[in-house]
Amino acid sequence: MGSNTTEKALSMLRFLPRVCLSNIRPHPNSRIRDKRGRGQHGGDKHGCGNKGSGQRQNYMRLGYETGNNPFYLRFPHEPYYQRHHLRREYPPVSLLQLLKFIELNRIDHTKPIDLVSVVNTGLYKLLPDQRQYGIQLTDEGADVFNLKINIEVQYATEVVIAAIEKAGGVITTAYYDQHSLQCMLNTKKFFERGVPIPKRMMPPPDAIEYYSDPAKRGYLADPDKISEERLVLAQKYGYSLPEIEKDPSYDMLTERKDPRQIFYGLHPGWVVNLRDKAILKPQDEELLKYYAN
Amino acid sequence: MTTMRPLLFTIFTKTKPFQCLRKTSLHQIRNSSYESSKFLVDVEVSTKYEATKIPEEWKYVERILPPTLVPEPQPLPEYQSGWKPQGDHKDSPYFVERSRNHMMPVYLDVRQRGVKRHTIIKKIQGDIWLFEKDLRTFLEDLIKPKPLRLQVNEFARKICINGDHVNAIKYWLGEKNF
Repeated sequence: MGSNTTEKALSMLRFLPRVCLSNIRPHPNSRIRDKRGRGQHGGDKHGCGNKGSGQRQNYMRLGYETGNNPFYLRFPHEPYYQRHHLRREYPPVSLLQLLKFIELNRIDHTKPIDLVSVVNTGLYKLLPDQRQYGIQLTDEGADVFNLKINIEVQYATEVVIAAIEKAGGVITTAYYDQHSLQCMLNTKKFFERGVPIPKRMMPPPDAIEYYSDPAKRGYLADPDKISEERLVLAQKYGYSLPEIEKDPSYDMLTERKDPRQIFYGLHPGWVVNLRDKAILKPQDEELLKYYAN
Repeated sequence: MTTMRPLLFTIFTKTKPFQCLRKTSLHQIRNSSYESSKFLVDVEVSTKYEATKIPEEWKYVERILPPTLVPEPQPLPEYQSGWKPQGDHKDSPYFVERSRNHMMPVYLDVRQRGVKRHTIIKKIQGDIWLFEKDLRTFLEDLIKPKPLRLQVNEFARKICINGDHVNAIKYWLGEKNF
């Protein structure tokens, strides 16, 4: 009997698979964890340590000193930072950066440069929802800048204006409201929406003075006064002003936008159809009246 | 403006008929989308408009459309902006590739909410250990009393250095025509 069972078992073993990791069972009554935790604490701390801001991801606000009288309140207040979180912001683009964009073929300097061409480089990000109202041109690289350009920025210092005009170029400072800026961020996306190009709004009361100042090359300033100011600046910095009238690229240098216009050559109220390559222009009198003023 | 609103609405309401969407039974209908909204109705455009195809005007549209490809840099005898094209490195034991934007692949990594700064060099080809040796002699000279903390990731072709040395390394790479 016994030998028969052994033989049967042995003959059965011949057809059974070999013992391997996939067909062995755990020890009876052994503890089986259903999760394999990673890391030092079995994954329960998610790499954020024990207790406090680090674990709860609620870091203290800037300037808070855990109950102390904070540094920024310890002394009499400094009013020049009043309402700083509500002010318009013009993030900088230096002349050297602009030169690099042109040399890397990101910007075509034989055509007028504006905020759209700077954003279209893909190397510059503007965030209008964080109160960034366009770019300011800074003077880094003012000594080496030697290109004749027609540029429109939102803010520029006197040195920058002098550097561009010395090279034979033209600079304008112009204001764009939030809706216009949103259209300019990604023009392809905007045209695909099938929405008419909005009209550009006038600057707010605290900015209107800047944008109608000929010394700042504001877009609302009188052109005659601007040409006067160009001469004044040339005398101040001691360079001879190149004559734009005799320049071969006169048309490019004198191309300007209307104060109501967002894009060069495209009027407010027009709808651009990218698929059919057509431009839809409103003919309704009421609409025309709305977009005209 | 109050009189404008219905007028504008009539122009921009979609003129796509809703029935054609319903016929395709297999097509999933997402009612949260504007395209498949039940309330989307065919509206006759009563506002007068003119569809024009003038090439001169279309040039202005093409001018402001964002480019789809990164353009090649201008071949100039001298670059004023400080950017330099990459030199020829056929015999060099190592090579640092430029990024797709024609820039040096040296980056600053700020970790721990601005507490720690690391410099990362990417796209190192060839003998990364020899590159590390050359870089080490340059950087150790620069931060002399302090020890240089540097980590080589041979597999990912990266070198991570403790501290902000981005401009120094870019200058060093520029000297070597990378």
